[in-house]
Amino acid sequence: MSTAWALFQGLLIEALPFLLIGVLISSLARWLAPGGRWLRRLPGHPVLGPLSGAALGFALPACECGNVPVARRLLVAGAPLGTALGFLFAAPVLNPIVIASTWAAFPDQPWLLLARPLGAVLVSLALCLLLRMIPEAELLQADVLAERRLNQPLSAVTLLQRRSGMVGIRAAMATDPDPDHDHKATPDPAPRPPLQEVLQHGGREFLQLAVLLVAGCMLAALVQTLLPRQWLLNLGGSPTGSVVALMVLSLVISVCSSVDAFLALSFAAQVTPGALLAFLLLGPVIDLKLAGLLSLLLRPRGLLLAMAGAALAVLLIAQWINLWLL
Amino acid sequence: MAVVKAHHLQATGLALWGLVLLRASSDGRLDLLLREMFHPLVGLAGLILMGWAAALALPGRSHAMGVPATPGQWRLGAATAAIALLLIGLPPNPSFADLAQQRASDDSGEAELAFVMPPAQRSLTDWVRLLRTQSDPRLYVGDPVRISGFVLPRRDGPPVLARLMVRCCLADATPVGLSVRWPTNQPLPRADQWLQIDGDMAVQQGPQGEELVVMPQRITPIRRPARPLEP
Repeated sequence: MSTAWALFQGLLIEALPFLLIGVLISSLARWLAPGGRWLRRLPGHPVLGPLSGAALGFALPACECGNVPVARRLLVAGAPLGTALGFLFAAPVLNPIVIASTWAAFPDQPWLLLARPLGAVLVSLALCLLLRMIPEAELLQADVLAERRLNQPLSAVTLLQRRSGMVGIRAAMATDPDPDHDHKATPDPAPRPPLQEVLQHGGREFLQLAVLLVAGCMLAALVQTLLPRQWLLNLGGSPTGSVVALMVLSLVISVCSSVDAFLALSFAAQVTPGALLAFLLLGPVIDLKLAGLLSLLLRPRGLLLAMAGAALAVLLIAQWINLWLL
Repeated sequence: MAVVKAHHLQATGLALWGLVLLRASSDGRLDLLLREMFHPLVGLAGLILMGWAAALALPGRSHAMGVPATPGQWRLGAATAAIALLLIGLPPNPSFADLAQQRASDDSGEAELAFVMPPAQRSLTDWVRLLRTQSDPRLYVGDPVRISGFVLPRRDGPPVLARLMVRCCLADATPVGLSVRWPTNQPLPRADQWLQIDGDMAVQQGPQGEELVVMPQRITPIRRPARPLEP
């Protein structure tokens, strides 16, 4: 148990600063752009939305823990669902630090440098299309949904669906039948909240996420201690077996996307190219450490669908890579 | 009875997390848990959290500042306090041998030696990296050795002297080791024991052909070094 306790502390203490970075960015966005009007102008198209969300990852060079509070901010500020989820699922890979670390770890495998970001976009796109099938009310957690509806135009959400009527919305937008109408001429009436209120909101968010992170790290540390890693690697003798084994390994290890390429390097020689890519694609989308954090955004049904969808999409991509390269 | 305000409870929670990170930065446990490049980030995060807590604790004019804490906030505060106190009070004490036995050895060719170092100054990790780039063990026969590491038992042979390499944190640590010809007139060292070995290199027949082995002249038990993880 002393080893599990040390693993838990290692995972948690490494992740907390990144979580803080995410909450700071989210709070800064809340303070500087309280209405979040520009977010509502992001494309709501089923394909362009997730792609634009994925592209936002370049603006946030943090790992997946830091992305969760920012994705939450996107959701509650009324950004299109596809854009927010596209950011949540693709940004942990589509950022400069992760791409640079992948290049540094595998300079002799240029295909990986292309396949990893491309695969992340494909997985994110697949998940966004999949999760669109669930109504927002059944997909998002109640508090996220309530805050999101306050920031959506009444053309997109009815007054009865809001808990607090007109709070946080300007009349022009509330009565505007065309959500794409240009509101540039009218000033955004959402006042900048007092700094202490922003700090309090951010503080609450950090404390909630930190406790969920603790649960995820505890689970990851216990599973890592009880499940020998070599056993998993030995299991993956066949091409498909190696992909599945590395997918399970990425769920269990729960390391940040900014350093997982260096970890993958240590067993790259023992596994197929598809399995290597599967490890690098699945971990940033979902792992044991992240599951708790994601539960703050998604209801269990959405979370399970996202996990199953991510696993299936990664398995298909990895199998295709094995067919191509083996 | 005085009513506890929500922002005071939050300030306490943030201060506790800040304390956890600052304590970890100051008591040396980061050396056991994380790669060195992340240490300043942890300390900085601790300071930011303490500053955040102080800013929340200050009297403010915001309407939200006067709200009493809800039962949910009390539960969150209690969970935060319990976790923080456990983290502060129970420092990590991992068994490196247990950890290493669960993992495959690091076979990557990363971080080759970029300079020529006298053999006696090479660490265990330097030797392992050197063997990856110049894999003919006969090149090093007779070279003096002075290495330290922990004893890692093997299923298929005598224990090796090992070190853990990390890229990020203890969770991704992978072992690297060197074979040792242990003295036959003494019992084998116990798992996880830290040793310093002075001796020279020789070649022995291993399961996969010839391999380098350390011939100890002196074996000294040592305390676990302050920075036991290798980058």
